[in-house]
Amino acid sequence: MADKPSDLVQGTLDMLILKTLALEPMHGYGIAVRLEQMSKGVFRLNAGSLFVAFQRLERAGLISSEWKATENSRRAKYYVLTDQGRKRLNSETREWGRQVAAIARILEAS
Amino acid sequence: MSLLRNISDGLRWLFRKERVTQELDEELNGFLEMAAEEKMKQGMGRKDALRAVRLERGSLEVTKEIVHSASWESFLGTCWRDLRFALRMLRKSPGLMFAVILSLGIGVGANTAIFSLVDAAILKPLPVEDPDSLRVIEWSNPEFPEGVSNINGDFNQISGGGVQASSVGAHLYRKLAHEQTVFAALVGIADSNPVGIAIDALPAEQVSLQYVSDNFFQGLGVLPVIGRPFRAEEDRVGQEPLVVVSHRFWVSRLGGAGDALDRSVRINNVPARIVGVAPPGFFGLRAGQWTDIYAPLAMRVAFQPGQSDGAPRGEDDSDWWVREMGRLKPGVSETAAKTQIAGLFRSLAAEAMNLEPKKIPELITLSGRRGFGALNARDASALWILVLLVGVLLLIVCANVANLLLSRSVVRQRESAVRLALGATRARVFRQHLVESGVLALLGGGAGLAFGSVLARSIHLVIESGRDPSSMFDLHLDLRVLGCTGGLSILTALLFGLAPAVQAARADLNDALKAQVGSVMGGRLRLPKLLVSLQIALCLTALVAAGLLGRSLENLRWVDIGFDREKLAYASVNPGQAGYSTERLGPYVERVRQELARLPGVLRVSPVEVRLLSGNGNLSRVSVPGRPSSIEKGVVAPTEAANVNSVGDGFFETLRIPLIAGRTIERRDIRPNADAVVVDELFTRRFFPNENPLGRRFGFDPKDSNRYEIVGVVRDTLYNSLRREPLPTVYEPYLPDVRDPIHFAIRTTMDSARLAQAVRAVVASVDPAVPLIEFHTQNGLIDRLLRTERLLALMSVAFGLVALILAAIGIAGVLAYAVARRTNEIGVRMALGATASDVIRMVLRDSLWMVGAGILIGFPFAFAIGKLLRAILFRLEPLDPWTATAALFALLVVTLLASWLPARRAVCVDPIVALRYE
Repeated sequence: MADKPSDLVQGTLDMLILKTLALEPMHGYGIAVRLEQMSKGVFRLNAGSLFVAFQRLERAGLISSEWKATENSRRAKYYVLTDQGRKRLNSETREWGRQVAAIARILEAS
Repeated sequence: MSLLRNISDGLRWLFRKERVTQELDEELNGFLEMAAEEKMKQGMGRKDALRAVRLERGSLEVTKEIVHSASWESFLGTCWRDLRFALRMLRKSPGLMFAVILSLGIGVGANTAIFSLVDAAILKPLPVEDPDSLRVIEWSNPEFPEGVSNINGDFNQISGGGVQASSVGAHLYRKLAHEQTVFAALVGIADSNPVGIAIDALPAEQVSLQYVSDNFFQGLGVLPVIGRPFRAEEDRVGQEPLVVVSHRFWVSRLGGAGDALDRSVRINNVPARIVGVAPPGFFGLRAGQWTDIYAPLAMRVAFQPGQSDGAPRGEDDSDWWVREMGRLKPGVSETAAKTQIAGLFRSLAAEAMNLEPKKIPELITLSGRRGFGALNARDASALWILVLLVGVLLLIVCANVANLLLSRSVVRQRESAVRLALGATRARVFRQHLVESGVLALLGGGAGLAFGSVLARSIHLVIESGRDPSSMFDLHLDLRVLGCTGGLSILTALLFGLAPAVQAARADLNDALKAQVGSVMGGRLRLPKLLVSLQIALCLTALVAAGLLGRSLENLRWVDIGFDREKLAYASVNPGQAGYSTERLGPYVERVRQELARLPGVLRVSPVEVRLLSGNGNLSRVSVPGRPSSIEKGVVAPTEAANVNSVGDGFFETLRIPLIAGRTIERRDIRPNADAVVVDELFTRRFFPNENPLGRRFGFDPKDSNRYEIVGVVRDTLYNSLRREPLPTVYEPYLPDVRDPIHFAIRTTMDSARLAQAVRAVVASVDPAVPLIEFHTQNGLIDRLLRTERLLALMSVAFGLVALILAAIGIAGVLAYAVARRTNEIGVRMALGATASDVIRMVLRDSLWMVGAGILIGFPFAFAIGKLLRAILFRLEPLDPWTATAALFALLVVTLLASWLPARRAVCVDPIVALRYE
């Protein structure tokens, strides 16, 4: 509701999740922890936005899921990047790079 | 692919809710557990760890809600909840619900009815394959085409003295259809013909037949459902007569029997064989006219034999009676098609008729999507006026329903406020109210659909009253009508639901929760009052329209027609159809006349060529020896024209047209080449002013202006129109003609139903092969002439009354609410010494403000509608002061009455109770 991610954040969150999954299939908590580690604690994700994003990505066919046992022999839903998801990740990464470079140019110009 | 996935996931959620929720539950639980474990590893207790996780990551339930509400299916789910809630709320106030659904039913129903008529008569495409590719072929020519003796079908004067018409000769059509290459098929069809048909040993009855080309059914893509279409070799003179019957005819006359094929029937007393049954719903190519029987073009010779001279009818190149319609080949442009057939027709006709090509009319193509024009201009404009009236009615209904709901939404303001306070968004409250309106609109739409189809059928009855049974529109409920009703319902829901919904969503929490209901809605009920004023304005418009149309109809109905219209009837037969020759016709007519005169209760009988005020008639130019005449090209100047009628002896006595001078037509005048005629007073005033007309001579042909001798003068009568300035009338002695139907005017003392029965029996007893084709009372004919006016007057008066009732409900509702809200104030006033009349005055002042504002807004509308109606008003100005006064008076009386109840209630307020109220 009030903490609905804005468009930009929403887009980046999806991209970050895809990036995380590019290495290996992971469950929800694993993804959250990985994102926090990699961002050195800048991102702290609550379950709400995370699972909404999973649902959205899964319905868009960018990721798929299966139930598996974790290393602690607990049942968890693992998310896997699909081919389509991999393509999307590549294109979004490129686009992101372009945008960041452009923004940086604008900011440096003054 | 992902869309599909999205939908299937959503559906899974909707229908396997348990399972999906459980999965999400497990996954989230796992997530939180894992996070908690992490914390526990750092030395936290399990309980603390779990709480810390909940704080950091969000609780299980909230997360579930968030995840769920992010998907589309949750939107559906809440809509469903809204819907159930709406139904529950509506059940709680059945009175209000009834009022709303009833008024919506009337509003939407009236609109549905008029739309279905307009659609059937004006908008709907033909029930054939791909009607958009059809083109109607007509022709235009600078003058009446040379070498043509007769033109059937449409024939119109166009600007510059030219003519535009629709038919060509049968042979010319066949050659053109054969040689053209731009149409996939070029079909030919004649206008419908009344014929007598006898099945088995039953007496003949009149049905409508159309002659069509052999490729008619194939070309239009309406192949017979039983049997077969015609074949090329069957459209030839001398072939065995074959017919295809309409589905309606097959069901109603042949009982839908499977063995209808190869049945033999007698058409105009000629045996013919049925080879097919057309598909259901196919009425022909003209909406509003249902053809019963189709026969090949060449059968006209067999079914309608010519005069004794023996020339076959219809196969002559100078007789133009076949209309054409073509289906454009894919990829052929309209221009190319027109160019080819126009050129082809020129050369074919020039050769056949032995004329120069430039004298041959030019073919043109028109859209054939809707077939041949169905309505005359006056009926069409009447329908559009009705569209306007029902539109006004719908607006009134919307204003009324909006008001009813608005007053309720005020009552429910607390409820909305509580919802908002508990965290519902304003959008959510707004939607909830809109859903309620939607439910009401849907229910009202359903009621409207039922009411509308009944109303459409009733109106249809009025439109078709007095016409022959083949004339009817296809009114069955189809998707187009359903779409119109649905669309209107949604539109009304938006119109009447928006204001209450906005009101509810705008609720000010503080005010609503702490104060009593009354003080919530903006101090002075501005919106409801405005809506009532709007209702009054529209109501005034409807009342003025009703008054004008009603008075105009009364004026027409009581116009002096010059003879006694009561207890007068006409019976019609057409012996020529049954093969009577001229020689046998005279004795037949005499016999029927005698038998009719012998009926008890019949005073007098006389044959007549043109029934008065039937809408038909003959017109001739009168030339008087020695009187100069201004010859105009092809058109008779009104100052030289006269209506012509042929009447038997005793006609004037039968109709009770008073004789002014001389004598009437007598038996001795009934012979070929008799020269005695009777004229009316207008005739003598116009052609023989200031002299004795008796014995004077005149003629219809300028070359023979001594043809007739005036032997008598009778009073003026109206001839074929109640509206037009009457023309002089000439009465000739009547000689029956095999080509025309014969009408008997009957003066009786019986009521018409019994007379009709007796007449039918008499006609059947004289010759069973000759059916009674029509029976009308004189009043019935006049009603038929006035059917458009009557329809408009009836509908507008009915709509006016409904509008008035709705306005009364609206004003009473708003005042009652205002009084209830001001109970307190009224109590204080009365405690301080206000009298009952002060209080009544206070309430009435409110009411008068609304009415006054409404009338002020309504006057321009009323004026505009008067202007619109000007063309169809009879002896009435659009600003008729009487009508306006009557409308205002009705409005004032009804609104005052409506204000009376709330005012009474205000007076009954007990100051003590009112003051304790809080």
